[in-house]
Amino acid sequence: MLDVMTSGKLAALSIAILIGAIAAYVLLIRVPLVRNHPEAYVLAFALATALAVLAVLRSRRRRWAAWLVLALTGAVLVAGAFFNFVVARVPDTPTPLRVGERPPDFTLPDASGRAVSLADFRGRKPVVLVFYRGYW
Amino acid sequence: MEIIAVSPDRNEQSQKLADGLRLGYRFVADPDLAVARRYGLVHAHGGPDGEDVPRPATLVLDRDGVVRWFSISRNFQVRPDPKDVLRAVRAL
Repeated sequence: MLDVMTSGKLAALSIAILIGAIAAYVLLIRVPLVRNHPEAYVLAFALATALAVLAVLRSRRRRWAAWLVLALTGAVLVAGAFFNFVVARVPDTPTPLRVGERPPDFTLPDASGRAVSLADFRGRKPVVLVFYRGYW
Repeated sequence: MEIIAVSPDRNEQSQKLADGLRLGYRFVADPDLAVARRYGLVHAHGGPDGEDVPRPATLVLDRDGVVRWFSISRNFQVRPDPKDVLRAVRAL
C-alpha cells in the first residue's frame, strides 16, 4: 500500500500517527498496559519519521511541506526517545529490601500530625507501602 | 489492609492530592527522604529541578510485617499494574 501512496498522503499519515500516539498516551495514561509501555510512543514516533522520510523522497511539488513534516516528526522522535530512555530512566541502586525479610521500621507523621509506625500494624493487618515521586 | 503512601511532599500538599483524587488511604510525609534513603529508594537528582526524589516503589507486607512482594520502577513512567499488587495481597 505504501508504494502507491503519494508524498502528500504519506505526510498526512505521518502527522496522524504522531498526533494519534501522543493523544493515545495522554488519554490512556491510566491504563496500565499503555502507561507501562512508554517505548510504544517512541516506536510510533519512529514510524511517523520513517513515513516522513518516504514522503520527502517521493515529493515532486511542495517539497518543503514534506521536509517540514520530517523536521517535526524527527524532532519529536529525538525528544521522545531522550525523555523515555535517558530522563525517565531510574538508576538501579542497592536496596536492603528482600522478599521474606522485614523492611526497616520507621515513624512518620500523617496528614493529621499523628505519628505512623510500620510496627503499629505488625500482627494486625497487611500493609501496602507505596513510595512515589511527589506531586508537582 | 492498610495502604500507606510515603510522600516527599509536605502533608498539606499530599492532603490536597488525596482530596482531589478522593483517595481513602493514608499519606505520611518524608520530606527529607530519610525513610526512602534507608530503603535504598532514592533517585539522586531525579526531580524536575535536579533534586533527589524517591524511586517509585510498591511493597506488600504481610501481617507480620514481612515483605512478600515488591516492585521498584526502572523508568519513572512505569508503575506496577494494580492487578499484580492485588494478586500479591490476595496471596497473603
